[in-house]
Amino acid sequence: MSQFRTLWRSVPFLLLASIPVAAEPAASFKPIQRKWWAIQPVAAPAVPQIDAAGMAWARNEIDRFVYAKLQGKSIRPSPMAERAVFLRRVTLDLTGLPPTPSEAQQFLSDAQPGAEERLVDRLLASPRYGERWGRHWLDVVRYSDSDGFKQDDTRPDMWRYRDWVIQSWNNDKPFDRFLREQIAADELYPGDKSALPGLGYLRLFEDEFNQANIYLRRQELLNDVTDNTAFAFLGVTLACARCHDHKFDPLLHKDYYRFQAFFANMKIDDEATPATDEEVAAYQAGMKRYREAAKPVLDKMDALLAPAHAKFRKEYTERFPPEVQEVILKPASARTPMDWQIYHKAITQVIVPDADVAAKKLNAAEKAQYKALQTELEPFAHLLPKPLPRLQIMRDQDITAPATHVLRAGAIGAPMEEVEPGWLSILDAAPAKVTPMRALNSSGRRAALAEILADPDNPLSTRVIVNRVWHYHFGRGITGTPNDMGLMGEMPVNRELLDWLTWQFTRADGWSIKKLHKRIVLSATYMQASDFRQDAAEVDSENKLLWRYPRRRLEAEAIRDSMLAVSGLLDRTMGGPGVFPAVPKGTEIQEGRHWKKASGPADEFRASVYIFARRLVRYPMLQSFDAPLAIDSCGRRQETVTPDQALELMNGTAAAGFAKALAARVANDAGQSADALVERAFRLTLGREPGTKEREQSVAFLAKQAPLAGGQKGALEDMCLSLLSSSEFLYVD
Amino acid sequence: MSTKVAMTDHLRMTRRALLRGAGSGLGAMAMAAMLAEEAQAAKVHDPTVPRKPHHEPKAKRVIFLFMEGAPSHIDLFDPKPKLNELHGQPMPASFGRPITAMGTAGNTLMGSPRKWKQHGKGGIWISELYPQIAKHADKLAVVRSCISNGLNHAGGVSQMNTGDILSGRPSLGAWVTYGLGTANKNLPTFVSMIDEREPFGNAKNWGSGFLPAVYQGTLFRQGPNPILNTKLGEGQTDERQRGRLAYLDSLNRGYMVGREDDSGLEARIRSFELAYALQSSGPEAVDLSKETEETKDLYGLNKPETAVFGRNCLMGRRLLERGVRFVELYCGSGSGWDAHSNLEGNHGKWCKASDQPVAALLEDLERRGMLADTLVIWGGEFGRTPFNEKGDGRDHNPWGFTMFFAGGGVKGGQTIGSTDEIGLKAVERPAHVHDLHSSILWLLGLNHLQLTYLHNGRAERPTMLGGESMLKELWGG
Repeated sequence: MSQFRTLWRSVPFLLLASIPVAAEPAASFKPIQRKWWAIQPVAAPAVPQIDAAGMAWARNEIDRFVYAKLQGKSIRPSPMAERAVFLRRVTLDLTGLPPTPSEAQQFLSDAQPGAEERLVDRLLASPRYGERWGRHWLDVVRYSDSDGFKQDDTRPDMWRYRDWVIQSWNNDKPFDRFLREQIAADELYPGDKSALPGLGYLRLFEDEFNQANIYLRRQELLNDVTDNTAFAFLGVTLACARCHDHKFDPLLHKDYYRFQAFFANMKIDDEATPATDEEVAAYQAGMKRYREAAKPVLDKMDALLAPAHAKFRKEYTERFPPEVQEVILKPASARTPMDWQIYHKAITQVIVPDADVAAKKLNAAEKAQYKALQTELEPFAHLLPKPLPRLQIMRDQDITAPATHVLRAGAIGAPMEEVEPGWLSILDAAPAKVTPMRALNSSGRRAALAEILADPDNPLSTRVIVNRVWHYHFGRGITGTPNDMGLMGEMPVNRELLDWLTWQFTRADGWSIKKLHKRIVLSATYMQASDFRQDAAEVDSENKLLWRYPRRRLEAEAIRDSMLAVSGLLDRTMGGPGVFPAVPKGTEIQEGRHWKKASGPADEFRASVYIFARRLVRYPMLQSFDAPLAIDSCGRRQETVTPDQALELMNGTAAAGFAKALAARVANDAGQSADALVERAFRLTLGREPGTKEREQSVAFLAKQAPLAGGQKGALEDMCLSLLSSSEFLYVD
Repeated sequence: MSTKVAMTDHLRMTRRALLRGAGSGLGAMAMAAMLAEEAQAAKVHDPTVPRKPHHEPKAKRVIFLFMEGAPSHIDLFDPKPKLNELHGQPMPASFGRPITAMGTAGNTLMGSPRKWKQHGKGGIWISELYPQIAKHADKLAVVRSCISNGLNHAGGVSQMNTGDILSGRPSLGAWVTYGLGTANKNLPTFVSMIDEREPFGNAKNWGSGFLPAVYQGTLFRQGPNPILNTKLGEGQTDERQRGRLAYLDSLNRGYMVGREDDSGLEARIRSFELAYALQSSGPEAVDLSKETEETKDLYGLNKPETAVFGRNCLMGRRLLERGVRFVELYCGSGSGWDAHSNLEGNHGKWCKASDQPVAALLEDLERRGMLADTLVIWGGEFGRTPFNEKGDGRDHNPWGFTMFFAGGGVKGGQTIGSTDEIGLKAVERPAHVHDLHSSILWLLGLNHLQLTYLHNGRAERPTMLGGESMLKELWGG
């Protein structure tokens, strides 16, 4: 937890080599701790028997669990929402976009049994589904296209992880496989290039390449990965055990480091490629041809740069503390596993690309020479093969990991007992079974962790993902704190339901998220009207038991994407590097430093999930609608109502542009009649025809606004902007 | 209950929570009376409830004059005759050998050529670099024993603003906003202004961290429209906008029919009304045309060297008058004071840029009767070393440096704490950044131990694990 981070710095660096002291004696767990609900085995509870009224309402088992709870409080569930409301709800929920008028027509005219299921199948098959639900996952893993900290340097190839997430959700990759690939794709599926980008998960920690205190930096990034993995996959606040036993949950200080030890051998690998072996071979052959052809020039260049590299290397090596210098300078054969960890993090600061060395260490004459040689190289440029796609991932240094110690108060200078990789002691106090993978030159630690997490009998990892999915469907999980299923988190409102769903998910459904979606969105619980009911509210004012569907505001991305979609601007291109829609002047985003200059439509109209995710500053429109910063795991977004959101819609250039496009579309579809314009604008944005009064008001508005807005066109744009800004457009009923 | 305003890990949707949301974003401006009334009515613990102060506050508002880049305490407030004696010699081993940002601890000591005088009844030492401020010596409580953990600017600036050297925690202003809510109807509660470049860490310094975004500070931009998106778009007029907003209002009210229970929808309607008001209240707050020439001259707007920071100080006073609770003004934003070399030239420039404006602010606040309940804070992220860097500069010194406090219940004319004989380390009454923060909060009526927010399972507070030794001397407590 960030709270503790300062302590790291306040412990003198020199204590690193201090003598290990004995750890506190192993704690024994109290009976009450052993009763913690989330660590109990997932059982398959019997589906409740409910009365005839309930059976008439229920559509599947979920409803019987929900109904039973409601009945316990003498609350009736709500009737089905109107079909058009359900259509809009489920379409926004699954794809992040509202239904088009023709999609609405298709569904509303489908009177055959199974229409809802056909609709849901169509939505789940849409590529928009993965963009929408992949984004949820990216919140949880603090996805970012940049390093963070002060420099916040771009990670140019991180987006391949984002694309891999989107594809995985679109392909309904079984969640246990999805999980395994993120923790240990290289160890578990060594030949499978399509799995490799998943390892980008381990690379999502904040970092800055130019740190001098590498021992500390390594520990901090391990902490970051440890904390996030516990939040994301286990829904526990293991981070609280970094300095001492968890104050509330049965998580030991030691457990933090046992868990961390799974990651202890990782190093950054930004050269990994998802290309096939043939592609790699072709690339290497191409490079060889290039080098041979250009050899005379390249040799001259090397000769020119060699002293500069040496100078640079010496100077930058000497900037490190003596301990790090020693590691850099000692022969490879003498480096310990820990040395290698330090070496890899340090060496990128002392061995840098030619261009950097040339810029920093050549004198003017040499620079001119260097430039001339570059010109001489130009005729060979056509021989250069196309660069290989690169990934930004983590993998093991080799088969032997450095020792992991429990750290007193989390301080790197205060190592206590050494620990082996292991699972939470309360569930299994023995060290994990780790098989070093000689053939892969990998410690096998992450594979061992992946197997623990992907075990259908793991009570935490299985429940936590099912709860997350529920959370995104209803705006609140069965346990309301998706990142904290501990004793300080919320108790599950309907534990039997969570367990039943989890059991189905890992057993009957083979970890298929799409099957889980179908169970949920085809339930009567999900299909309920969202209307307020005084009788029910008096008993359950927070609607925890789900006596109605909870209305809520759309997330930032869905708001912007919906605006793009209805105005006909949405560019449905998938994947690729992050895009840079223009940012207004005066925001905290500075063009050139944080942001590339927008290049036009290719940057402007892509789905929001593809907008470059700078860790510390977000695209303004997304930020104002509560898109999280990628500092730590976000299991549940805040949902605020603020004047800056209003200003964004009132005066922002993006919203104005969407409104203009929408107006043009409406005019094109509907012609001149005010009545037809109003009708079309309502259908496109709100998915319904205007009510009588609304129609009158809107027609009157067009007439009254025209002289103020420079004519009918301006008035229509104003109407469109109002519709795009309206609560009805932004909320899911 | 729904998830309209998911303020915390405990979703608690209440009308009050929503109104709070509606009134903030730009820093929780909102319906103070209603909030107070509802806060009292709240039965459950709800972190979104604006709390009354924990105790009677001495200060109602703060203006933090942040000298970014780190001024040299041993050239401004902390004279060191011994250092001058040892000028040109290596630092005696007895002072220790700190790790510094630039590896300069082996360099020789550099005396300070300043002319020193004691000022006011309290006899406060101030060098000739701050002649105007010196005239207000009896308003100042000078703390000479500040310490921080940041070796570099990124860490130091972050810690002074957020308590942590790693960015991402809520800023002090955000905590104050969270703790006290708003004191005005149409401006943000927490405003930052810069004078040069982007400060180190930029928006993180006024960010809300894990607190809901409604508590974050607002960066006032230079120019007539200080708040983003308050300028009408192309082709818009006030009349046209009002027509459009009236239509939007009718749509939103129409949607509320049958959904009256959902206060989020009402909050949205309010948010547009507030946004509309901001379009004029923001520009009005920074419009100096109503200020007298005498006032403008007082702040140095008539001289190029003082005009920029002077203007910000004057705007700062206007914001305080209009109920902004926390104003932070960066002087030398983007590390202006960072005198690794040519300390004379650097501090010559920045002292000149800040001396008259800061003095003017003290005077202006006093004559308007605002100084008594406005806390003025002056300081950087750390101080500078007694040993030289590059012959005529000084390196970063987080082990001992000076800040001063005035107004807002602070007893002036006193010097608190001390550094060692050469100004390297705080020796007497060390005051860590966390202690400074807890003291500032205390003056505002907040107890840092009670100002907590549950985040990822932990009750977080502004001072992390510290802040336990408040500088009670400041208020004579």
